[in-house]
Amino acid sequence: MADAGRHPNITLLTNSEVTSASGYVGNFEVRVVQKARFVDENTCTACGDCVKVCPVVVPDEFNQGLSSRRAIYQPFPQAVPSAYVIDIENCLGHDPIKCGKCMAECDKKSIDFDMSDQEHVFKIGTIVVATGMEVYDPSVLDEYGYTRHENVLTSMELERLINAGGPSQGEVIRMTDRKVPRSVAFIQCVGSRSLRRGNPYCSNICCMNTIKATLQLKEHYPDIEIKVFYIDIRAFGKGFEEMFRRSRGLGVRYIRGLPGAIQEDPATGDLILTAENTATNQLETHRAEMVILSVGVHPPEEMKVVQEMLTLQRHADGFYLEAHPKLEPVDSATRGIFFAGCAEGPKDIKEAVTQASAAAARAIRLMNPGKLTVEAITAEVDSHKCTICGICAKVCPYNAIEVDKRSGTPAHVNSAACAGCGTCAAECPAEAITMHHFTDRQINGQIDALLDSDPMDRILVFACNWCSYAGADFAGVSRLQYPANTRLIRTMCSGRVSQKFVWRAFEQGAPVVLVSGCHIGDCHYINANHWTEKRLKRMWKKMEKLGLRPERLQLEWISAAEGIRFQEVMDKMERLRREVTPDEVAKTQRILAAQREKEAAKAAAKAAKAVAVPEDARPSA
Amino acid sequence: MLLNDCDPGFKHQVAAEPGGQGIKACFACAACTARCPVAGHVEGYDPRRLIRLVLLGRREEVLASPLIWLCSTCYSCQEVCPQQVSFTEVLTAIKNIAARAGYGPPATEAVIDQLAAHGRLLEVGEFENQRRTDLGLPEVAEAPAHFQKVLGVEPAGGKS
Repeated sequence: MADAGRHPNITLLTNSEVTSASGYVGNFEVRVVQKARFVDENTCTACGDCVKVCPVVVPDEFNQGLSSRRAIYQPFPQAVPSAYVIDIENCLGHDPIKCGKCMAECDKKSIDFDMSDQEHVFKIGTIVVATGMEVYDPSVLDEYGYTRHENVLTSMELERLINAGGPSQGEVIRMTDRKVPRSVAFIQCVGSRSLRRGNPYCSNICCMNTIKATLQLKEHYPDIEIKVFYIDIRAFGKGFEEMFRRSRGLGVRYIRGLPGAIQEDPATGDLILTAENTATNQLETHRAEMVILSVGVHPPEEMKVVQEMLTLQRHADGFYLEAHPKLEPVDSATRGIFFAGCAEGPKDIKEAVTQASAAAARAIRLMNPGKLTVEAITAEVDSHKCTICGICAKVCPYNAIEVDKRSGTPAHVNSAACAGCGTCAAECPAEAITMHHFTDRQINGQIDALLDSDPMDRILVFACNWCSYAGADFAGVSRLQYPANTRLIRTMCSGRVSQKFVWRAFEQGAPVVLVSGCHIGDCHYINANHWTEKRLKRMWKKMEKLGLRPERLQLEWISAAEGIRFQEVMDKMERLRREVTPDEVAKTQRILAAQREKEAAKAAAKAAKAVAVPEDARPSA
Repeated sequence: MLLNDCDPGFKHQVAAEPGGQGIKACFACAACTARCPVAGHVEGYDPRRLIRLVLLGRREEVLASPLIWLCSTCYSCQEVCPQQVSFTEVLTAIKNIAARAGYGPPATEAVIDQLAAHGRLLEVGEFENQRRTDLGLPEVAEAPAHFQKVLGVEPAGGKS
């Protein structure tokens, strides 16, 4: 961190908060409020004279509240910048009657109570989100008695105790008698892997953290007795298994089975743990002078603020969702925004560094050329046809469309932000949007060609490029047999499949139509397939109203790895196709033709009325 | 015990019984056993082991075991279970299966017989009714029909 602070190309803003972010890749505008620190960081030499005179004592957050600090302080010894800061919430102020002692003591006159928060506005090209994680608070787990029993500590508290710069100068001492415990028990998976309380996921870091702590304890106190209660030890990384073995070699006992409760012996402050050793089937009672809860991690509350600011997605576990779990693990779905560290999921230092390096490289790769090549698959609005209804802007998953209903400015697509899903073009009621490379004309042409001969024998499928089309491909390379009369039309996203394409297919005599895309939550265009789902629900209702069997229009989510599922869906479509009779198709065509005429008449009447209005209005004007 | 003697369908049967849904989620952390007040007092009573036996399909061993009737239904196991197995309810499901298969505990069976025969836990005969009349209380008639219906036993008083 000191290196980052010294680097000429890095501006480090500490004690700051991002208040807003707007724009798109290469052109983000970010507003940052830097909070006043009340000490001039350029002149402060961190001599510490001010601390000696400060009368305010508050718990030290960095030491987990195990020691205290003053109202003027450095958060921790290596903090960057190396200057003091005033905790204004607790400071008594500079009024000489009340206090102001630090001001009088400071030779450099660095302390300035007139400082105020500063707002910075930055024009930036790319953003790396590294919002980190928070540690689970085990006080809700009543059975472990954290905070009720003083000698039950968390792994974070042990970390501070065993640190040479910590509150006890590196001596691990009990809270009750300030003595070094002769026996320590660790409990794993506290707040992790639980569907009831805490988090359902494995926090990744606690097993190795415990193993490391056992080695440290054994190094400090070779005679200490250590027991680790666990469900599974997940020592999966490079060198991890060896470290686990070394810990066992030093005499650390690993007992498979979680304690059900911790009781305190009131006379000694020792803790009594009851656990079933699943290796022996025996219910055992263990005594330990100190218990360490190996707590998991979870996403911080503030992640939501950043999420809303940058329109990011979050996984069910609360951490940010990457654009692709395997191929784009550090990219967000929005171009130009990357993830580093625990913002994306719980990880240890090595993984966090790996991901941060990757995120930096991904950002450099975008910025270095100075210009950006975008896919030609983008949407374009014909401003003459646009009725300024705002639907396109509402459905765009990337906020790439600007439309101002109030001032009557027609919609405009920002092609750098547009990813090309085509949902806007499918939803536009005025047909004002052209989806380049997947235009209405192209898709209509494909529908007409595929249903040109023997339409009764065809299964028409709209498949999205990323999942369903790839799923069909996978079925093919896996040599799976599926009906040969399947005809696929590829779109980038199922969101592109407009109602009119489906109606056209039915009008051309298609017995059945399938719309398929990525599973909900896996959409390659953030959430565009939600609009597909909504659209099809509307269509099924309309089909019922018109007297058509809704079963003839199917919606299925098929991923790129689900070749077998593609085969099954196609077999189902073939069964559905066989149920459709030529009479039913003929009837459908009649109904749809009548419907088309009705709509055309309605549109004509509306157009005539629109023309008529100014004429009526003239005499009164 | 051979693998052939195990009934792989047993866990599905338990899972299909109301309350038994959570059985398959157990990852054997043993928090239930560690928290169980009965396990601390009764040798061999071990919720985790019972779940394992069900998952392994050791049907007879589970249903015939006297241990399954010892749960105090304090729900401590459910409180600490990270996998939402809901062992108290799972055990209720197992007990229902056991009772249907004729493995009910002898004391409960006796109570059932008594209820089916007399409609109450204490037999009311001529002597009792005489005492009631002396005390100015109305006579009581035995009405076992309702209980026979609820318990699904033959009106003769025997088990179905």
